[in-house]
Amino acid sequence: MDEGVRQVYTEAEKQEIFEKEFLPHINAMYNFGYRLTLERDDAKDLVQDTYFKAYRFIESFQKGTNAKAWLFRILKNSFINDYRKKTKEPSKVDYQEVETYYNSDDVHRQITPDLRVDSLKDMIGDEISNALNSLDVDFRTVIILCDLEGFKYEEMAKILDIPIGTVRSRLHRARQLLKDKLSEYAKSMGYKNT
Amino acid sequence: MSEPTNPFVSSSGRRATCMEMLQLFLDGEVTTEQREYFLSHMDHCMPCFKSYQVDMAIKQLLKDRCCGDGAPVDLVAQIKAQIIQKDS
Ligand SMILES: [Zn+2]
Repeated sequence: MDEGVRQVYTEAEKQEIFEKEFLPHINAMYNFGYRLTLERDDAKDLVQDTYFKAYRFIESFQKGTNAKAWLFRILKNSFINDYRKKTKEPSKVDYQEVETYYNSDDVHRQITPDLRVDSLKDMIGDEISNALNSLDVDFRTVIILCDLEGFKYEEMAKILDIPIGTVRSRLHRARQLLKDKLSEYAKSMGYKNT
Repeated sequence: MSEPTNPFVSSSGRRATCMEMLQLFLDGEVTTEQREYFLSHMDHCMPCFKSYQVDMAIKQLLKDRCCGDGAPVDLVAQIKAQIIQKDS
């Protein structure tokens, strides 16, 4: 929203951008809103608010560029500034610890999975979804952007206003936590760790 | 015995760890050289190979099961109505 250069669009062009470049992302946006708030009504409000802002600031958007990343960034900011403030959910993530963890040389402890592909194949219910939702919102966010939506690290850095190095370390930690959760499910399903 | 020049060495000269290489590979954040290097690395690094199978399965599972059923049917109409209303 603060890209600097302002575009000049006619009303017809605004409508066209909105219809053809913004609205096609409605399902992804709604899922993002839902995964952030974990409430369907809140997700709806958040998406509605995001599209409203996108339309109001449409002149900051350059036609034909990455509309999805732009919309996701507005939604993320609305979530932090409006929603999170309202619910007063503080971030519980210790980022110092994340960096240290990622940069340590304890490779094998981190890389050796105690989770097998077999056990994942049996997770056909809500296990993965519940595991994702159980993560702290900042960790959840990077997994949504990367694994669900397929954003590149550079796009994620712009959406989240963090350096690429932080994207990488946060994503790594998020996946580690997700795997811990999935291991718990696997254990409860009777799988033994290998 | 020795591997070809490691294309994962950072500008500061530090070699990437297995898990760093794996992550970049998994997310498609690699160059062609890095991709080839890592593929042959996996031939003789069991932890990387095993982790790749698991990580890939999780990534696929996330994509298949966490993308939702789409926005409520009336949402687009509500958004449009809101814009038209506030725009006038
Ligand atoms: Zn390795």
